Amino acid sequence: MATETEHSPGEAVTARIERRWATLSIIIVGLLVGMAAYIGIHQATMPQGHVETADPKTLHLAGEFIESNLGSAVEADGSVTVRAIGQQYSFTPQCVVVPSETPVTFRATSADVVHGFLIEGTNINTMLVPGYVSALQVRFKAPGEHMMPCQEFCGIGHQGMWGKVKVVDKAAFLNMAAAKRRLTCVD
Amino acid sequence: MSDQPLVSLRNPWFVAGVGITVGIAAFSAVVGLIWLPLAQPDLKLSGIWDAICSAAGVPRATVQDASIKPEFRTSNVVMTSEMLTKPDQVSIGRGATLSQRCAICHGPQGVSDANSPNLAGQFAAVTYKELNDFKAGARVSVVMSPFAAAISDQDMKDVAAYYAYLPRVPSNNLNAGLPAPAIVVTGAPMRNIPPCGSCHGDIDNKAGSPWLGGQSAVYIKAQLQSLASGARRNDISQQMRNVARQMTPEEIDQAARYYAAQP
Amino acid sequence: MLTNKRLILAHFWLAFIVFAVALVLGAWQMFVRSPLNAWHFNPELYYRSVTAHGSAMGYVFPTLIAMGFGYAITEASLEKPLVGRRWAWVGFLLVAVGAVVAMVPVSLGLASVLYTFYPPMIGNPFYYIGVVMVVVGSWIWVALTSINFTIWKRDNPGKPVPLPMFANVAGSYLWGWTAVGAALEILLQILPVALGFKSTIDAGLARVFFSWTLHAIVYFWLMPTYIAYYTIFPRAIGGRLYSDAMARISFILFVVVAMPIGVHHLFADPQVGAGFKFMHSAFTGLVALPTLLTVFTICASAEIASRLRGGRGAFGWITALPWSNPIMLATALSLVMLGFGGAGGLINMSYQLDASVHNTQWITGHFHLIFGGAIVIMYFAIAYDLWPHLTGRALESFGLMRAQLWLWFIGMIVTTFPWHYVGILGMPRRMAFYDYANPAISPQAFSVVVSAIGGFILLVSGILFMLVLIRGQFGTRGEAGAYRFSVPLHMPARIPVALNSFGLWLALMIGLTVVNYGFPIAQLMVLNETSVPAVYVGASR
Repeated sequence: MATETEHSPGEAVTARIERRWATLSIIIVGLLVGMAAYIGIHQATMPQGHVETADPKTLHLAGEFIESNLGSAVEADGSVTVRAIGQQYSFTPQCVVVPSETPVTFRATSADVVHGFLIEGTNINTMLVPGYVSALQVRFKAPGEHMMPCQEFCGIGHQGMWGKVKVVDKAAFLNMAAAKRRLTCVD
Repeated sequence: MSDQPLVSLRNPWFVAGVGITVGIAAFSAVVGLIWLPLAQPDLKLSGIWDAICSAAGVPRATVQDASIKPEFRTSNVVMTSEMLTKPDQVSIGRGATLSQRCAICHGPQGVSDANSPNLAGQFAAVTYKELNDFKAGARVSVVMSPFAAAISDQDMKDVAAYYAYLPRVPSNNLNAGLPAPAIVVTGAPMRNIPPCGSCHGDIDNKAGSPWLGGQSAVYIKAQLQSLASGARRNDISQQMRNVARQMTPEEIDQAARYYAAQP
Repeated sequence: MLTNKRLILAHFWLAFIVFAVALVLGAWQMFVRSPLNAWHFNPELYYRSVTAHGSAMGYVFPTLIAMGFGYAITEASLEKPLVGRRWAWVGFLLVAVGAVVAMVPVSLGLASVLYTFYPPMIGNPFYYIGVVMVVVGSWIWVALTSINFTIWKRDNPGKPVPLPMFANVAGSYLWGWTAVGAALEILLQILPVALGFKSTIDAGLARVFFSWTLHAIVYFWLMPTYIAYYTIFPRAIGGRLYSDAMARISFILFVVVAMPIGVHHLFADPQVGAGFKFMHSAFTGLVALPTLLTVFTICASAEIASRLRGGRGAFGWITALPWSNPIMLATALSLVMLGFGGAGGLINMSYQLDASVHNTQWITGHFHLIFGGAIVIMYFAIAYDLWPHLTGRALESFGLMRAQLWLWFIGMIVTTFPWHYVGILGMPRRMAFYDYANPAISPQAFSVVVSAIGGFILLVSGILFMLVLIRGQFGTRGEAGAYRFSVPLHMPARIPVALNSFGLWLALMIGLTVVNYGFPIAQLMVLNETSVPAVYVGASR
């Protein structure tokens, strides 16, 4: 910067072109980061807002991840909360049922090692790290079935860790929820 | 080369380098730690300080809604990978004495022909957990439940240590040449069935999963069926029910016959 | 002037032997997990192989290349013998022995935890000890590079450090610091558990430590490639380097911003706050800057070479480039792969887009394209360029070299493009087999077959590469002359002290690390309740 004063015209030209390119590069990068921030705000896909902890050893003894509390629950505000755990080598519930066109909150954690939580055909994709609770808010557009593989190496049986998600019509879901407080589509 | 000092406000490289770096760091910190969290109403933050703390990742206590309590007893054992893996001689000795009560069904050397499980060489954590579950009522058996009702925690550990110490005895049905069925080798991935051996010890061991080699085929089949139907529910968080309910009756048969013939 | 030829050659040979073994494993993995194979096999073998493939390709191979090439640069660019030759051999032996110590438990199936470790799964302690030995061996190289740089500067006050050496030192400092993350994870967290002193571990903290290493390690792998772009390529095609100062700025940018961005690997992790994820995302964007600058400089340097050879026209000059020259070919193919891979990287960089591809085969495709493609093809080029100077024998099989480079390029594209595609379909990573008969994933089967074919093309290319090098050992003797690097178009008479030293940039690198990692690490370290029981892998039956 400060040194290029008494040089040949050729050198001045090369330096000018180079500066233009550098400026353009900075603009490109700035634009990309800005876009990420903007979309994050306006499309509401931001990383999980809070860090929460859970003890993987005692999930089955007390708290929100005991066996009888896993599955989909209808909240007072009409939204649905799905609680699930990952363990070697399955998710419980093995089959998650959710309504379409409804705000759904997934709350999940791991009972042993690191697992992944991916619902194919959607942008739902997070990690389950033992010791911590993963929470994410989503909305399913249409009824249908999705595979839910574990996407992180979790041991020798990892390739067999596939769960399922069934998205059902909202009204049908509410009917089911009238009969039972925690819903799954297992058996 | 310029001889000006590196660290000096008159050195434009120093000023620009430090200035830009600090500027970007400060800007991204303000955006990431304050502006973005506050722009998300559903985070329900109480102010700037709360926004900074939650965006920085300070853990917060989970607001506990009332959980649905189970209608049946579940296992209350806390399993870990290293549980009861370091046997001590005193415990094994006490276990040997205590185990005489078990011999009538499980054999004097932990091996039986009576379709009750062989315990010789079983992982200590497994024997301990099942005894515990019988005692707590998470697993029910007309024979075992009364036995387990009165047994102390230390006694369970001792019995478990003793049986783990005994050598596995080749079963009467040993047929090591029997080809492994697909359900055992690879499971059925899309039905959420991993290979049996990835938990049960032939490939790797998941804490609490029993060694199956040489067990009675009748016993294995009965357990898989009751796990599949939900009659047996002491597997923590459904870890085995999830597998058993996906298996077809043929696959259950094949797996039971295969393991009965293994060492 | 290369005096320690045996030292350098030993590094390169060991690197390529490790590479060849890992390449065979990689091709085998591609095959067994594809629909071409009836998946009736023990999945543990697959994970064992992935652990070996990853550890060899990620830790041993590029480290040895960086070290060997680094010593060559030190001697050739400073024009004096390496100071600390004995220590260099000690470092080499540590890497070699460490690689063996790590690979024995892996090949016995006692540490199938993949090269990313994945606590709370804990494998045999010797695996981790071996990895630490490799890292410590490479730190000796970092120290020697720094010492040689300092001695030269002391002996040549006021002179600009030659660009290759400046870049080499940048790469070594980057590695020295970025390796600290994984070293802390292993020494503070994993080894105490693996050795039985502790039985719990904070998996979240371990992932944060590992992310410190995981991203910048890619830039460490990239350094020899970029050094080759700037200092070998323009000379090899008979041109000039467009700009010396911009090259230095690029390397400095890598040193400063490659490190504090690793949390973008943890976008989906629950243990890191959203604010820090954004900060790391912003700096990740910044790390595209040196690459954009490099692409410009290298293309401009190529144009200069072409115009010197009589190339004309706005685009016509491209045809006048010396395409039969392997270095020209390798660099062009490398830049193409860097372009595609970099575009994919920009997608991974944003939380919002990353969510749709995180931990799918897209990611596997991405880093194979960048590392296996753009980076490794330049390792080949470096070997081709350097070999005659190391062996004193000419490499004569230019046709074979071109075929090898083309095959590598085609193989990598054929492998990684379908990988990206099935990743978008949601195919998860790191699985030993898939039931392609199931309608939910049967649409992915064809792409996976194509990808596996790419793997075989890569294997063939790797065999050709070894063949060229082996033939080189028996070629006709001839004096290759002094090893030279490219000369800039306008050699600056004076350069600012900031572009000739690292004090300021190292301070910024460490400072930014503290800002971006200090709080997340500190707060997880004081959090006790998230230490979880270890899950021992490959334990006794």
